[in-house]
Amino acid sequence: MKSSSEPRNASPPLGGDAAKYRVAGALAGTVNGLFGGGGGIPLLVLLTKWAKLDEKTAFATCVAVILPVCAVSAAVYFLRAGLSLVPAIPYLLGGLLGGFLGGKLFRGVPNVWLRRVFALFLLYGAWRYLT
Amino acid sequence: MKEYLLPFFIGAATGVLSAWGVGGGTLLLLCMTLLLGVDQAEAQGINLLYFLPTAAASLWYHRKNGYLDARVLKSAVPSGIVCALLAALASTATDAALLRKPFGLFLLYAGGSMLLQKDKKERHATA
Repeated sequence: MKSSSEPRNASPPLGGDAAKYRVAGALAGTVNGLFGGGGGIPLLVLLTKWAKLDEKTAFATCVAVILPVCAVSAAVYFLRAGLSLVPAIPYLLGGLLGGFLGGKLFRGVPNVWLRRVFALFLLYGAWRYLT
Repeated sequence: MKEYLLPFFIGAATGVLSAWGVGGGTLLLLCMTLLLGVDQAEAQGINLLYFLPTAAASLWYHRKNGYLDARVLKSAVPSGIVCALLAALASTATDAALLRKPFGLFLLYAGGSMLLQKDKKERHATA
């Protein structure tokens, strides 16, 4: 009995979690492409509520998925409108420092804080888009 | 020097939130346009670039701490990149403004439910 159930568990079911992740990624890319940002929002919601990922893993993995997606958006924006690189430099350097700091602190942040800050950000976005 | 210091510190502060994936970029956009008087189009461009080094820096720690799910990355990154390209092309052909309201409603719903969500422990206690 054990030997017959093991291989089934070892390989993910067809159209199972991998399909969910693919759909979540597709939606994130679509939102990012249409609005120039915000793709992490549907991604986080789908990864936590639908794919049932652990919350912290979901937040961190979202950042990792959105990085290449955002690079695509930045490239498209650059080709279309041109990006001013020089004024961006101090922000980018600050971001580098903040990114390290945030990554270091992430482990100790209670999930409820992450959720609350994220929720505020969503509600602000809702206000911007609905009014 | 002063005009570089403020952007640097604001970038660092919002970078912490960006590293957590909770909307640091949006806060940066607000700070740039409302506090520093950066023009909206330029601020959006800076914001897009900003996420790249900031996220990369945070991922170094996330990876080290085991918070990255490789299965998700393998499936979600390729589909995300393809759809980002397609949607960027589509957004010039169609009016993305039409989608603002439905997306706004989704944000309202997701934000509201997230604020009201209780921790799993609490849920067990009340069940």
